[in-house]
Amino acid sequence: MKINNPRIWLWIAAAIVVLNGFFPALWIFLTSIKGEAELTRIPITYWPDNPTLQNYVQAFREQPLARYFLNSLIVAGFSTLLCVSVASLAAYALARLHVPRRNLILSLLVGVSMFPVASLMVPLYQTFNELGLRNNYLALILPHAALSLPVATLTLVSFFAGIPRDLESAAMVDGSTRLGALWHVVVPLAAPGVFTAAILAFVNSWDEFLLASTLLPAKAMRTLPVGIQLYQGEYVFPWPLISAALVVALVPVALVIALFQERVVGGLTQGGVKG
Amino acid sequence: MSVPTQPYRRSFGDMSERALAVWLLLPAGLLLGFVALYPVVRLIYTSFFQYQLTQGPEASFIGLANYAAALEDARFWNAFRNTALIVLVTVPGALVVGLGLALLANLPFRVKWPVRLGLLLPWALPLVFVGLIFQWFFDSQYGVVNDWIVRLGGERQFWLFRPDLAFWAICFTIIWKTSSFVALILLAGLQTIPKELYEAAEVDGASRWQVFWRITLPLLTPAILVAMIFRTITAFQTFDIPYAMTKGGPGNATETLAMYVRVTSIENLNFGYGSALAVLLFLVSMAITVIYLRYIRGADD
Repeated sequence: MKINNPRIWLWIAAAIVVLNGFFPALWIFLTSIKGEAELTRIPITYWPDNPTLQNYVQAFREQPLARYFLNSLIVAGFSTLLCVSVASLAAYALARLHVPRRNLILSLLVGVSMFPVASLMVPLYQTFNELGLRNNYLALILPHAALSLPVATLTLVSFFAGIPRDLESAAMVDGSTRLGALWHVVVPLAAPGVFTAAILAFVNSWDEFLLASTLLPAKAMRTLPVGIQLYQGEYVFPWPLISAALVVALVPVALVIALFQERVVGGLTQGGVKG
Repeated sequence: MSVPTQPYRRSFGDMSERALAVWLLLPAGLLLGFVALYPVVRLIYTSFFQYQLTQGPEASFIGLANYAAALEDARFWNAFRNTALIVLVTVPGALVVGLGLALLANLPFRVKWPVRLGLLLPWALPLVFVGLIFQWFFDSQYGVVNDWIVRLGGERQFWLFRPDLAFWAICFTIIWKTSSFVALILLAGLQTIPKELYEAAEVDGASRWQVFWRITLPLLTPAILVAMIFRTITAFQTFDIPYAMTKGGPGNATETLAMYVRVTSIENLNFGYGSALAVLLFLVSMAITVIYLRYIRGADD
């Protein structure tokens, strides 16, 4: 075999990147289909001797995993919806209309997106407590929507800016109002951008832990990261349950990034490269 | 889709562009005002009070005493030191690993999706889950890491029970989690470098090493800076991964600033002092953000 063969190096490079990215998820999956007896054996096994779904049955039976899943879905779904609708309106104004102090607003958006969540946590806890909204979905939906809003708006501003103005003007000459033109011409063309912003907002909300654990602490209200994290204190050897629950919790994000990978990469890197 | 009706058209058609802009920006302003700006004002206000819920509902104004207390608080300085060390280790670490991954991922693969997913998956995994998975990797009895060490003839280590080892295990995990995001940004940067430059270098007989130092790295500098600033800001806010792996332990050996804020305010209900700590964390993040804004403004000109 010729070591200089560039194809071999390509295979090695691909293997490094793929293994690095997939190994932890793969390992937690392999862990989840081993029985407890196999997990507590030394030396450890790599490939499961005797694959079983027992851990999954336990994960749903001993803990309200389905409820956690539903909570995550409700929070991520509604916060994404709220974030993207509000961001679309703002982004259209910023991209198309004469907005005084436009650059200041854009800088403020970048600034807000860098606010430490740990700092916001303290006053949000006090405020939602006083409003009697702690352990209410709203207490998490609003902050999650707000946290993704700056990036969603900035993403959409550049999308709207890329839509030719002439198309819109033509629609307005044809007797459509500005909002009519927005709805019939701009919205369909901006749909890919809106979709990208929605994916990023959904993944951010699905991942968030600090606010979720502070604002929705009741057992029935916990989201997946909060619920699963707490298994550690409840079991002597929590790994059969944690691994199965993690695999369940990862399915939606894995699906989203597998199906829409190009869009996600585009949305993530757009801000970075353009600044 | 029906054509907008007459009254609908009139009400918006007559609106000045400026008024329309205000209406469109209003929802965003309200949402950010309620969940981001008002909380910051309230946070700063609360930080001037002695206010601990476990000692009664009254708050008494004490000026800057909470800040003075923070400067004398050994646990604050311990958390500050841990956070600064995490920044110093994981930001350069993620940049180097991320650059390596980006260079590998930029090779001309015929099928691109496995490599792209390999970069996306670490980004998409929730931080807490990454912390849990790596806690299992570093498990002293059944962990993969100790298994490899033993197979290579070494000694089992109590990774998460020794302060120094716990710190390095956490840094390793953070670097793994964040390097893929860095790689995605750098990969996008690499793809903007014109191919002609590489062809010209090849004609001139430049070595690969020369090409990397003279062409790739200089042209990639803007993307590297952006990734570095982003990472620095988020590294100062580190919470989830050490929380999931060690809860700040053993003792307080791996407690970060964000973790100390949470313990003080949410667990001990000491809002006054917790707010002062949170303000300090906020100020550090904003200082770096201002530098970042200056930089992108400069790049735009």
